[in-house]
Amino acid sequence: MTGYVLRRLVFAAFVVVAVSMLIFAITSLLPANVAYLILGQFAPPEQVRALEIKLGLLDPIPVQYWRWASAAFVGDFGVSMLMDRPVAPMVGEAILRSAVLAGISFVFIAVVGVGLGVLAAVKRNGPVDHGVSVATYLGIAVPEFFWSIVVILLFAGYFRWLPASGYEPMDKGFWTWAHHIVAPVMTLVFAHLAHVSRLTRSSMLEAMQSPYVTAARAKGLPERTVVLRHALRNAMLPTITVLALDVGRLMGGIVVIETVFSYPGLGRLLVFSIQSRDLLTLQAGILLVAAVYALANLAADLLYAWLNPKIRYGRSVA
Amino acid sequence: MASSTSAPPTLQVRDLTIRYRTPTGTITALDSISLAIPKGGALGLVGESGSGKSTVGLALMGLLPSEAQVAGGQLLLDGSDLLALDPEARRRMRGPKLALVFQDPFTALNPSLRVGAQIGEGLVHHRGISVSAGLDAARRLLAEVGISDPAAVADAYPHQLSGGMRQRALIASALACEPELLILDEPTTALDVTIEAQILDLLEGLRAKRGLSLLFISHNLGVVRRVCDRIAVIYAARVVEQGPTAAVFARPAHPYTKGLLAAIPRLSERRGRLAAIPGRLPDLAAPPPGCIFAARCPFAEPACIAERMPMREDGERAARCRRLDAVGAAPWPVAAPAPHAARAEAGAPIVSARGLAKTFHLRRGLAALRWQGGRIVHRPVFVRALDGVDLDVAPGEVLGLVGESGCGKTTLGRTLLRLVEPSAGTIRIDGRDVTGLDARAMLPVRRMAQIVFQNPDSSLNPRKTVRELIGRPLVRFGLAAPGDVAARVAALLDLVQLPASYAERYAHQMSGGEKQRVGIARAIATEPKFLVCDEPVSALDVSVQASIVNLLADLRDRLAVAYVFISHDISVVAHLADRIAVMYRGRIVETGPTAAVLAPPYHPYTAALLSAVPDVDAPKRDRIRLKGEIAAPTGSQGCVFESRCPRRIGDVCATAMPPTRAPAPGHAIACHLETEELGH
Repeated sequence: MTGYVLRRLVFAAFVVVAVSMLIFAITSLLPANVAYLILGQFAPPEQVRALEIKLGLLDPIPVQYWRWASAAFVGDFGVSMLMDRPVAPMVGEAILRSAVLAGISFVFIAVVGVGLGVLAAVKRNGPVDHGVSVATYLGIAVPEFFWSIVVILLFAGYFRWLPASGYEPMDKGFWTWAHHIVAPVMTLVFAHLAHVSRLTRSSMLEAMQSPYVTAARAKGLPERTVVLRHALRNAMLPTITVLALDVGRLMGGIVVIETVFSYPGLGRLLVFSIQSRDLLTLQAGILLVAAVYALANLAADLLYAWLNPKIRYGRSVA
Repeated sequence: MASSTSAPPTLQVRDLTIRYRTPTGTITALDSISLAIPKGGALGLVGESGSGKSTVGLALMGLLPSEAQVAGGQLLLDGSDLLALDPEARRRMRGPKLALVFQDPFTALNPSLRVGAQIGEGLVHHRGISVSAGLDAARRLLAEVGISDPAAVADAYPHQLSGGMRQRALIASALACEPELLILDEPTTALDVTIEAQILDLLEGLRAKRGLSLLFISHNLGVVRRVCDRIAVIYAARVVEQGPTAAVFARPAHPYTKGLLAAIPRLSERRGRLAAIPGRLPDLAAPPPGCIFAARCPFAEPACIAERMPMREDGERAARCRRLDAVGAAPWPVAAPAPHAARAEAGAPIVSARGLAKTFHLRRGLAALRWQGGRIVHRPVFVRALDGVDLDVAPGEVLGLVGESGCGKTTLGRTLLRLVEPSAGTIRIDGRDVTGLDARAMLPVRRMAQIVFQNPDSSLNPRKTVRELIGRPLVRFGLAAPGDVAARVAALLDLVQLPASYAERYAHQMSGGEKQRVGIARAIATEPKFLVCDEPVSALDVSVQASIVNLLADLRDRLAVAYVFISHDISVVAHLADRIAVMYRGRIVETGPTAAVLAPPYHPYTAALLSAVPDVDAPKRDRIRLKGEIAAPTGSQGCVFESRCPRRIGDVCATAMPPTRAPAPGHAIACHLETEELGH
């Protein structure tokens, strides 16, 4: 197990480093010259050249990368030229707000998705099963921005229960905050349920057919115990892997949802930094997304190992 | 065996009929089955796959799948009808009244729960005791089923235990709530003979000690003979014969029983042809009107096909055959043995291996890092599946390779063909060193050396017709012009005794035996001189196994092909092989002519293997029992069998390579004991 954890840690770190290189390489290729951005489009070439030298933009790319990466390692992502603010705290605030949105959505996706999957498997081929599959497929088949518009039209426009967009911090009161976050969470959850519920359903069906479940029934255990204790525990393993992958999809979803609902999180900041060619903010934002993704997969691997005794414990003891 | 017919029956099954609804029609899985087990009695329910024997167990437990429906009959347990109870009441009987032990100990335990918890949970539920009291009970039960360290095993997960220990744990779990009737569904089929013998000993002991009634479901007559005092033979959903075990074995009444008994290869009579039961199970969706076995019965007459025959009772015994008196003691007919072709004696071996070794690395590099005693240490895990094997096979010779699962026999077979690359050693095929050849240079060798796999279900591509499967090697090796492939395929099908029309079939349209025939036809398509047969009959029923063994014997004689015949079943190997090699943990411990290996002097491991084979003809013998189970081979300074050897001398066994004893020319035993001592 220790070896396993060590290997996973090394692997996650490797992913983050590789992504940081990739981000830097791509942004270096972008047609955005920081010197021109600062001095304006029509600045005289000598001034641009002088600034380029001062900022080190003429150094070889690996040297520039090293300078950026070693600073980033200690939390310094530079100063946004456009906002005239240090990048790190700006991105930090945004990612916290996004984390709240994504975290709540993720919990709902996991709990509701697994629940629906188990329900569909137990009531296999009945109306409940078909209902669940149609609803979840509908959610995944149509893109998130469509559902966000439907949610806005329905709950903000027609019923007038929720605000159409915007964000209020928690210190203005829990209910005000919650009121603004319900609609984006609802949309994200609906759009991402299908993966988890479908996979849980099929792995539950497989588990329910396995000899150890028949053996559990043969002990006279009640069906509830058979399903939850014997089948679900084993059926959860593939679901955990997919949940980790869904964190990545959720990151993509957040970019869309935050833009539609004007939610001031990392997604909206990323879109803004791309539009305004704010390279330093962009680099920091993408690196953080990659780090979150690597961490989510690390967590999934560890959880998987913990639930799967074949990894947690080595081979035969007795 | 004390017959206890006077006691009131614990279980009575009366005219039980069960039907399955399938997309292609309704199948009768059980047709008016009647059985009885007295208190403390043991009934063996014997039949081949598809006969419906497992359905009996599931019906008793109330665990039939939803497609099944009980169309009639009664299941009386202590006089009260189980079928009249509601599902909740039946659930409460599972455990305290009836318990079931499944066939496959590798899948019947939940992989993510500790063994102790799985044994105790029935008690926790049915008796309302605490979880920790359940665990205590689990430890006691594990001790009762012969586990030496019950606390450690209760604390382990299933994957940490060997097959035999898992089966013991499953039996402990079934015994937990002290059921009156224990149903065992092929409890030893997935286990090696030495472990099977241990489990059968355990069941005999438990039955005597606890006064359990047993329903023992099996296809293996030898196993049933050891444990049961009565047997019922089931064929195509009907019981065809019932009676006291000894009487049925001594004088089988029903032709099917005669056929089943005759089809078993015996160590005592080798070399002839095995009796096979031709044909296959009737279509259970539309069973024939008359005797269900008539189509395959050598004694059948026209009336058998026309009319259904009721069970005819005669005292303790009963059989469903109209020609009972006429057939009488007539034996099952056996075809005359094919003449054994004169082999090219002497001459260079077709296959010759020297110092063959293969190491599988399960964990190495980064993966082998472990946290131990406060620091990171490197703990690689490897298996030395082959540990210095020398082997020669003469042209046209059959070399039988026996040993328990995990001994390396499959690896050896594949390494000889370079399907697995050896880590060390040389392989010569037809005099040529093939160890270093690249893929192109291997091609002519591949043509000469082919393989038949164990499981015909997974070794035939389900999307290809038989013509494509057999035709592929013909085209690949340029053995037939495109226009001639069909004719060659038909000729090959004829050689394996399948009709030419089978060329258009897919794998799922054939029975297990037919699929294995196709697998054999594919292997001999290239006219090989050498064939590795890797457990070719162990997935098949006894009657089908006999016909495949006969086919392989015929082919050897007609085509003069040499086999390495791998099997865990020493009786099958003994039947076919000219020479036998016995493997244990990656090494060959004994090799010699078949007659020499099967007679003293034995290697202690060979002696134990032979002793473990359940014998159909003689129920009680002095037995050598091996303790424990085969461990993964990791290389050894001394004898590989030392840790389980009942005749271990001392430390020399563990520290020094055993010398080779040669009691007769060609017979070699690797043991520290002198030849004279090995003789008894």
